[in-house]
Amino acid sequence: MSRVRLGRWMIAIPMSLLAVATIYPLLFTANVALKTRRDYILDRFGLTTTLQWENISTAWTSVGMGRYFVNSLVVVTSSVLLLLLLGSMAGFALSQLRFRGSSALFLGCLAGLFIPFQVIMVPLARIMADTALIDTYPGLILVYVAQFLPFTVFLMTSYYKGIPPEIVDAARIDGNTVYGVYRRIMLPLGTPALLSVGILNALFCWNDVLMALVMMPSAENRTLMIGVTSLRGQYSDNIPTFASGVLIAAIPVLLVYLFLQRQIADGVAAGSTKG
Amino acid sequence: MPIGNTQPSVRLASAGRAGGPAATSPARRGGTRPRRTRGGLGAERYAPYILIAPAVLIIVALRLYPLILGVNFSFTGDGDQNGEAVGFGNYQELFADPLFRTALGNVGLLVLLLPVAVAIPGLLATFIFLRVPGHRFYRSVYFFPAVLSPVIVGAIFNLLLAFDGPLNAVLGSIGVGPVDWLGDPDVAMFMVVGVHIWATFGMALVVFLAGFATLDAALLDAARVDGASLRQVVWHVIIPSLARTIQFVFVTTMIGMLTSMFGLLFVMTSGGPEGSTYLPEYYIWIQQGQMNRPALASAASTILFAIMLVVGMLQIKLLERSGKVD
Repeated sequence: MSRVRLGRWMIAIPMSLLAVATIYPLLFTANVALKTRRDYILDRFGLTTTLQWENISTAWTSVGMGRYFVNSLVVVTSSVLLLLLLGSMAGFALSQLRFRGSSALFLGCLAGLFIPFQVIMVPLARIMADTALIDTYPGLILVYVAQFLPFTVFLMTSYYKGIPPEIVDAARIDGNTVYGVYRRIMLPLGTPALLSVGILNALFCWNDVLMALVMMPSAENRTLMIGVTSLRGQYSDNIPTFASGVLIAAIPVLLVYLFLQRQIADGVAAGSTKG
Repeated sequence: MPIGNTQPSVRLASAGRAGGPAATSPARRGGTRPRRTRGGLGAERYAPYILIAPAVLIIVALRLYPLILGVNFSFTGDGDQNGEAVGFGNYQELFADPLFRTALGNVGLLVLLLPVAVAIPGLLATFIFLRVPGHRFYRSVYFFPAVLSPVIVGAIFNLLLAFDGPLNAVLGSIGVGPVDWLGDPDVAMFMVVGVHIWATFGMALVVFLAGFATLDAALLDAARVDGASLRQVVWHVIIPSLARTIQFVFVTTMIGMLTSMFGLLFVMTSGGPEGSTYLPEYYIWIQQGQMNRPALASAASTILFAIMLVVGMLQIKLLERSGKVD
């Protein structure tokens, strides 16, 4: 027995080291973000003594991270709301209603799962340019919705399959239209799944680089992640400001993670076990 | 599903609740009639199609149609030959391009490193499942980098791995290096893949833990009672029971390596040094955005899709098998 316990503690040592390796790079960055340039050159690892909040405000204003932040916020919020609306509507129809062609339509949605953005990047950029949607909020929102909709439909469909059809039947007998059933029953009952899928989608959109890079060519339309990539060229000689920009982009995700870790993990797990 | 297990009484109760105020109030009939006439029978009949139409339209117009368009496109020319059919010209050019060949070679490297990228989270999940002291803490810490954007991760490691950066400073103090982590063509790709694995193993870990949750505890207890060692438990109980999860992680990790390393490449190396860190997705982006060769980029996309299709087929096979098991 004691040997087993000892073995467990032995395993805990490398696991703790790995935990440090996982979290340290971010702590390092946060620490650097608050140093002066001179302090960073003299001592990279020591705890900062100065708390240079100016670095953060410099990154926010003069690099334009503030503007990019707003762009990201608008695009991500609209994309997620649209994804949840369209995904739950389709998921409800596919799981609870019987109609001709439903399984073919479900497969069509699933097929979207196997088409990564990289594969359709060129024609999609052309379609967006032809419809004058390139370099606009609606354009990027549409691209995000198209990207993550198959996954959203899939998860909402499997979640709604777990709801007994008797509930829908009863509500129909009570005189609800199909739309009424969706609004009064399916949306409220779907809350846990909507929350999980919504957070996952928000992370996916917020963290995206390639789609934003292709769809938003002009500087003022950059999202926050593109802003981070542009920091590299501008501030390669001013590491603390660079680190501040990175921190600005990381903090929202950090907050979401601290409060909603369970839902994120549940969403990933649901995607895997139902797959 | 608690609602499904408990029988009629609950079903009635929930139906009543779901019906809302209209179901219990005397105004019920008055409330439903206008709704029905407003919706009309026809609208009701087509309701499923109306509900599903926006999703299907978007997926068809912005996923499936572009795929066909792109494949067609890959057989046409760029520049002066814009729109003209050039047969397999683009494909010939691709395979003659050393950069694209490097990109394919790097895909091969990813395949070779795949078992490592699966084994690390698998092993860690096993320890967490066996309740190593502090397992809850490990789980939340390990998962954290998985939610960060590759751009943020790349920027952080840019900082750490810079030639005059902290890692070399530490190594220098013990008399090693300095190593040009991101500037040496023999080293850079391994660093990028290493960072990718660092950033994503938490995702696979969560998937593994979800698999462990379905594991039969009695089986594990039996093995313990019989005095099986940890290694025996892993080898004879855990791996066979988790075959499905392991296969799933293999496929998703491979897809992740093929389609979500762009951010890292873009920030950490920009494909360099000497083009040694090119991957197909980066090549596509360069040809489309920087070189103005959309048709050539489409050909590269088609090849990437073919690679993905092989991986996807594996996944479908897997789904079918798991369907039979259920």
